[in-house]
Amino acid sequence: MTQSMSISVNGQSQVPPGFRFHPTEEELLHYYLKKKVSYEKIDLDVIRDVDLNKLEPWDIQERCRIGTTPQNDWYFFSHKDKKYPTGTRTNRATAAGFWKATGRDKVIYSNGKRIGMRKTLVFYKGRAPHGQKSDWIMHEYRLDDNTADTNVSNVMGEATQEEGWVVCRTFKKKNLHKTLDSPLSASSITAETRTSQMFSSFSEGALDQILQHMGRTRKEENEADIINNGRFLRPIDTASSNSYNDRFMKLPSLESPNSTSSQSQSCYQAMITDNEDSITNQVGCTNPNPVYPIDSRPTNWAALDRLVASQLNGQSETSRQLACLNDPAMAYYTLPNHHDVQLPNLRSSFSLPSSRSYHGNQDFNSSDVDLWNFATRSSSPDQICHESNPSI
Amino acid sequence: MDNNNVNLPPGFRFYPSDEDLVVHFLHRKAALLPCHPDVIPDLELYPYDPWELDGKALAEGKRWYFYSRRTQHRNTKNGYWTTVGIEEPVLTSSQHRVGLKNYLEFYFGEAPAGLKTNWIMEEFRLSDSSASSSSRSSSKTRKHKKDYSKWVVCRVYERNCDDDDGGAAELSCLDEVFLSLDDLDEISLPN
Repeated sequence: MTQSMSISVNGQSQVPPGFRFHPTEEELLHYYLKKKVSYEKIDLDVIRDVDLNKLEPWDIQERCRIGTTPQNDWYFFSHKDKKYPTGTRTNRATAAGFWKATGRDKVIYSNGKRIGMRKTLVFYKGRAPHGQKSDWIMHEYRLDDNTADTNVSNVMGEATQEEGWVVCRTFKKKNLHKTLDSPLSASSITAETRTSQMFSSFSEGALDQILQHMGRTRKEENEADIINNGRFLRPIDTASSNSYNDRFMKLPSLESPNSTSSQSQSCYQAMITDNEDSITNQVGCTNPNPVYPIDSRPTNWAALDRLVASQLNGQSETSRQLACLNDPAMAYYTLPNHHDVQLPNLRSSFSLPSSRSYHGNQDFNSSDVDLWNFATRSSSPDQICHESNPSI
Repeated sequence: MDNNNVNLPPGFRFYPSDEDLVVHFLHRKAALLPCHPDVIPDLELYPYDPWELDGKALAEGKRWYFYSRRTQHRNTKNGYWTTVGIEEPVLTSSQHRVGLKNYLEFYFGEAPAGLKTNWIMEEFRLSDSSASSSSRSSSKTRKHKKDYSKWVVCRVYERNCDDDDGGAAELSCLDEVFLSLDDLDEISLPN
């Protein structure tokens, strides 16, 4: 690339029609941020430096414009400075407000290797703690301390967590329940409507409390675990939606097994939360020593268990019916976090006839319990779908 | 991705808006003007099944782009495309109507008893008004309107396999939940 190459020459965009800057998280971290921290020149000067303390979110878009095409998100480098010389907190205040972290940091992987972390921040207008939440969201990506192979980060050591260069993306949040943007979505079950169905299918208050609890106690936990859980549970999701599933599964598919988007992942996350609470509740009544996921801290799960039990009391009748689902059912519970652990075939394990009857906890007796061959758990979602049909 | 001769740094992808497709690609193609970059291949009316498009159409993420011709019966080897019956205008940012967008669904098997799949085609064509306006502005010599309207540009994707761009320029549902929990924090703080 020529050195003078810039994203805009004489007001003329160098980006051809139809092309947009749409980097993956891996590209942001492995290409752009790595170059930045090692002082390498970046082609086209695509990502500019921004002093977050000096620019309001609505001013960032002007500064970070790429070409002339309309953008939905904006990218920039930011240098994190500590708020106080002695502390570890980052100062993210502007003249009009401040950026506040939300949720938990997400681990970013590349080819199965951990390469960095993503922090989600929300812009609040005003001053803490009385800020007013805005629709401006920022994803802040930092390189993982151990994987940053340059000397720069090694010298800084642990301080890199809260100091040094990060690459950020800002965007304006859309509503959770998106307006139907194409006529097709009205006639079909899209990820969004699935989500809303799931959210309405059980007490929202219960979900909030559960997620809050999980959020507080498992903050740094890696979301990939949940993704695996979600994939594992996919049959429940699809079983009732399409009676032709069985035949379609045989169609050639261009979809790669890793293609679940973040949105559907979190839908499944909602599902597994739902399923976990039911299972925890059911088995908690019949098994005095439930097996908890191998890597979780029992106290957290016990607390979650209690919380859920209090939400779902009054269902002990049905729980007693589930006495037939004894220990092997809990083995299912231990699976998702360790999908690489080889477990024996669990002949007596159960699968769920459909999400509806499961959520309702009605008529859930042993005759409804299908065999579920757990040996297929490592196969692709499509195959699992196939296997979970009652025709096994 | 086949960037053809597009030489861009990592992170740039072919993510055309509807307007881009009509104005920059279909319009020029129909007017027989050179498209630069010439990235979208012309598949004419080859009877490719949607899952065969890889390697033939321009692929970006899980979307495929190609030029084709207008036709009433879009049949493939193993199925057929059927219009949903909804046509949307394609507007520029200045609300100028430049084209029409037609949705089609792919059915596996033989019409009319095929099985509906998740494959969607968005078929863009120039609206008559835009065709006439282009003939007015760009080439006065072209008087055959049919030449303009026979071309279409198509975007094909699978509906439920959500577009995984890896960038996630949106909040995940989980993030949304955490965000709403922040509100709860503030409500419960005074106690």
